[in-house]
Amino acid sequence: MDVSQYLEIFLDETNEHLQNLNTQILSLEQDPENMDTINEIFRAAHSLKGMAGTMGYKRMQTLTHDMENVFSEVRNGTIKVKADMIDVLFQCLDALEEYNTNIRESSDEGTNDNNALIKRLNDIMTGGFGSGSNAPAAESAPAQKAETSSLQGGFAGIRFNESQRNVLSEAIKMGKNVYGLTVKVQESCILKAARAFLVFKAVEDTSEIIVSEPSSQDIEDEKFELQFSLVIVSEAELNEVLAAAKAVSEIEDVTGGVLKLEDVTGGEAPAETPQEPVVEVPVQEPAAPAEAPVAAVPAEAAKTAAPVAAAAPAAKKPGTNKPVVNRTVRVDIEKLDTLMNLVSELIIAKNSLVSASAMSGNSSQAVNEQIEYLESVTTSLHESVMKVRMVPIESTVNKFPRMVRDLQKKLGKKMELYMSGEETELDRTVVDQIGDPLMHLLRNSADHGLESAAVRKERGKPEVGSIFLDAYQDGNNVVIEVRDDGNGIDVKSVKNKAIEKGIITPEQGEAMSEKEIINLLFNAGFSTAKVVSDVSGRGVGLDVVKSMIESLSGEVEVKSKLGEGSTWTIRLPLTLAIIQALMVEIGDEKYAIALGSIQTIEDILPSDVKLVQAKEVIQLRDLVIPLIRLNEILDIPSKKQPGDNLVVVVVKKGDKLAGLVVDELIGQQEIVIKSLGKYISKCKIISGATVLGDGEVALILDANALI
Amino acid sequence: MNEVEELRPVGETTQFIVIKLGEEQYGIDIKYIDNIVRMQHITRVPKVDDYLKGVINLRGEVIPVMSIRIKMGLERDVETKSSRIIILKLEQQGTIGVIVDEVKEVVTLENERIEKVAYDSKDEKANFLSGVGKSDGGLISLLDLNAVVLESV
Repeated sequence: MDVSQYLEIFLDETNEHLQNLNTQILSLEQDPENMDTINEIFRAAHSLKGMAGTMGYKRMQTLTHDMENVFSEVRNGTIKVKADMIDVLFQCLDALEEYNTNIRESSDEGTNDNNALIKRLNDIMTGGFGSGSNAPAAESAPAQKAETSSLQGGFAGIRFNESQRNVLSEAIKMGKNVYGLTVKVQESCILKAARAFLVFKAVEDTSEIIVSEPSSQDIEDEKFELQFSLVIVSEAELNEVLAAAKAVSEIEDVTGGVLKLEDVTGGEAPAETPQEPVVEVPVQEPAAPAEAPVAAVPAEAAKTAAPVAAAAPAAKKPGTNKPVVNRTVRVDIEKLDTLMNLVSELIIAKNSLVSASAMSGNSSQAVNEQIEYLESVTTSLHESVMKVRMVPIESTVNKFPRMVRDLQKKLGKKMELYMSGEETELDRTVVDQIGDPLMHLLRNSADHGLESAAVRKERGKPEVGSIFLDAYQDGNNVVIEVRDDGNGIDVKSVKNKAIEKGIITPEQGEAMSEKEIINLLFNAGFSTAKVVSDVSGRGVGLDVVKSMIESLSGEVEVKSKLGEGSTWTIRLPLTLAIIQALMVEIGDEKYAIALGSIQTIEDILPSDVKLVQAKEVIQLRDLVIPLIRLNEILDIPSKKQPGDNLVVVVVKKGDKLAGLVVDELIGQQEIVIKSLGKYISKCKIISGATVLGDGEVALILDANALI
Repeated sequence: MNEVEELRPVGETTQFIVIKLGEEQYGIDIKYIDNIVRMQHITRVPKVDDYLKGVINLRGEVIPVMSIRIKMGLERDVETKSSRIIILKLEQQGTIGVIVDEVKEVVTLENERIEKVAYDSKDEKANFLSGVGKSDGGLISLLDLNAVVLESV
C-alpha cells in the first residue's frame, strides 16, 4: 500500500509523541514510581512503534519495540527505574529524533541500526527479568478473556439483507465455509482506516468478503470505533484466515466463528445485539475511551495540559480519540499566509472605500452605515485569521527541560528549570523562530549565570540553581522572561573586557552607565567566559539573540544585580502583518508610526526646547526626553515656521524615550505592513511600507532604529 | 564565438521592447518584463542611493522604482506624458520598476543581428549593455538588466 500520503501526518504525530516522551521521561526521573507516567510512556512508545511499522520504517520500529519492552517490564514492577536507564532512554529518544529528521529530509530513515542502544535496552531487560517473567502473562490473560467475551457480539450481530442471505446460503449449500470475523484495532492505532484496509487485503487473499459492518465505505472514512466485523466466504480454514488478519500490525485481536445455514437464514433480526460503539476498557490501556467525546473537545487544552502528567490521562492523546478527526484540520501554513494576504487586501480596499466616501462629501447615511458594518466585519475577519495562525509557545519551549537536564550533566552544576505561561500564544512564524534565541539565553544563564554548587553554598544560596522561563501577554505584546538566581552580570569585568577587546575606549568606559555597559554584551564577538566551553562562550550567542529578535520586530533587554541574578526580557509583537498605526505628515510626505511604540503626543512651545550637550531636549513630567526632528533625518523641508508649536510624538524603546517632531497628525489607522523588499535594504529607519486608502504608499518609521 | 551568441542560439529570434532614454533607443528582453504602467506618484524612500526613486503601489504590492538615467549617468528624468514605468521580474532582485522616457514598440531580432559591444572602461554607458541589435528602425542598444539593476556598492 502506498503510505506516502500519510507521511506528513506520521511526521507530525511522531514529533508529538517524541515530545511527549521527553516530557514524561523527565517527570519519571523526578518520580520513578508514578504509574500514570509509566503508562503514558508505554502508550507513546507503543504508538510510535505501530506508526513506524505501518510506514515501513523497520529500524525505528525495532528500537521503539525494545523501548516498549523495557517499559512493559517497568509497568509490571519487574524493573525499577534507575538513573542510567533514564540516560539510555534519552539516548533512544535522540536516536528516534534522528530517524525522524532523516525521514523528513529524504523520506528514508537512514541506515543507523543503533545496535548499541538496543543492546543496552536488552541488558536492562535481562537485568531485572528473572523474578517477574510470569507476571505479564498472568496479566494479559484475563484481559484477553474479557475482550473475547465482548467481541463475540461483533459478527453475530450483523443483519443480512435479502441478497446477502441468498449469497451466503448458496455458498453454504455449495459446501464453502462461511465465517464471521470480528477485528479489533488497537486503541492507540492512528491510521485505523489504513489498518482496516490491510486486514481487508489479507482476508481477500483467501476469501471473499460478503458483508462488512460498518460498511466498507464507512471504514474507509474511519467512521468506526475500535472494531469492525466481516462475514466472508472462504475455502481456507478459519485459523488461516484469522492468522492472516492478525498478522497486520496494530490489530489487537481477531475472533471468528463458522456460520451455519440457520445462522444465516434464521438470524434475521438478532433482537438485542446493537452495533453501537463498544465502550470497552481494555485492561492494558487505561485510557478510558468512554470519556472520549468529552475529552476530545478541548483537544488543544489537552495538549497544553499534557506535561502535567497526573491529571486526566484520558485527554492526553489528541488524535487517537476519534471525534478529534472531525474537529481539527491540518492546514498548510502557506494557505494561511494566502488567506492572510487576502484579508490584508480586503482591509486596504475597505480603507479606500472609507477615504473615497469621505472625499465625495455627499455620502449618505446609508453608505456610512454600510461602511461601518464592513469595517467591523473586516476587523473580526482579521482577528479570526490571526487567531488561526496563533499557536501556543509550548511546542517550542517544551524541549527546554530536557536541554537543561543535559546541561546540568555537562556543566556539573545543579539547576532546575521552572516554566510558566507555556500556553501563551504567538503567531506561528514567530513561535518557530523564537526557539533558538531562547535556547541561547537559557544556555547563557546555565553556563555564565549560575554558580557551581559549592560557590552557591558559600554564598548562602540553595545548592540547586533556578532558571525561570515565564511567558505572558502584555497588551499587544508577548513578553518572555528568562531569569536566573545566579551570579548576575559583573559590570566591571564586562567593561574591562570591552576595553580589552577594543569595543570601547577606557574614557568611553568611564562615561558609560551600568546599563550601557551591560548592553555591550549584545555586541558581536563579545564573550566574558574565560574558557570557551561546549555550551556557550563562542561569543556569537547574544548578538545573534538580539538580531533574531529584532528581525521579529521584537526587543530584548537585560536587568541584572551582581550576586543575585539576571533577567532577560524579550518583548514580541502579537502579530506581524497588520498593526494599528498613527499616521503623521512631515513636509508633504506621510509616514506611519506603530501605535505600540507611542507613549504620548505632546504640543510643545518652541521656548520649552532646551539644549543639553548641544542636543535638543524637552522636559516632560520630570523626564528629560531628547528630541528628534524627523524632517532633518528624512531630508524633507518642514512646512512649519520656526515660531510654531512643535507636535511631538513620544516613542518608547525599552525604557528609553524620545520625542519625534512631526508637522501634522493625520490620525490612527489600521495598516497592513508590506516589506520594502531586499532591494531597498539600506534604509534602517524604515521598517516597511503600507498602501493607504487612496492607493499611495506610506512608509513605516521604525521608532526602535531612530532612538 | 562571442558571448551573446552563446546565450542566444543562432537561427532563433529574441523579442525586445524598445524604449527611449533621451534620443537613444534601448532594448529590454521581453522575458524579464512583467508589466508596463503609466507614471504615478512615487513615494520617496529616505537615505537610499540617488538612483532609487522610491516605491509605488502595484495592485497592492509595494515595488521599488529606480531611474536608469541616474544609474547610467545621464541627465535626470523629466516626467512627460509618455513616461512609463517598466516592471521587471528578475530572478535575483525580485520585482523592480525602471523609469523610461517612452516605450516605442516590440521588435523581434534574429540572433545573428545582435552584436556584442566592446568593453570600454571610458564609456560608462557601455557597461550596462549586453549588445547592439540592428533593426529596421536603426540601432538598438540592448540593456544588460543585471548590470543596470545591480546595487552600487
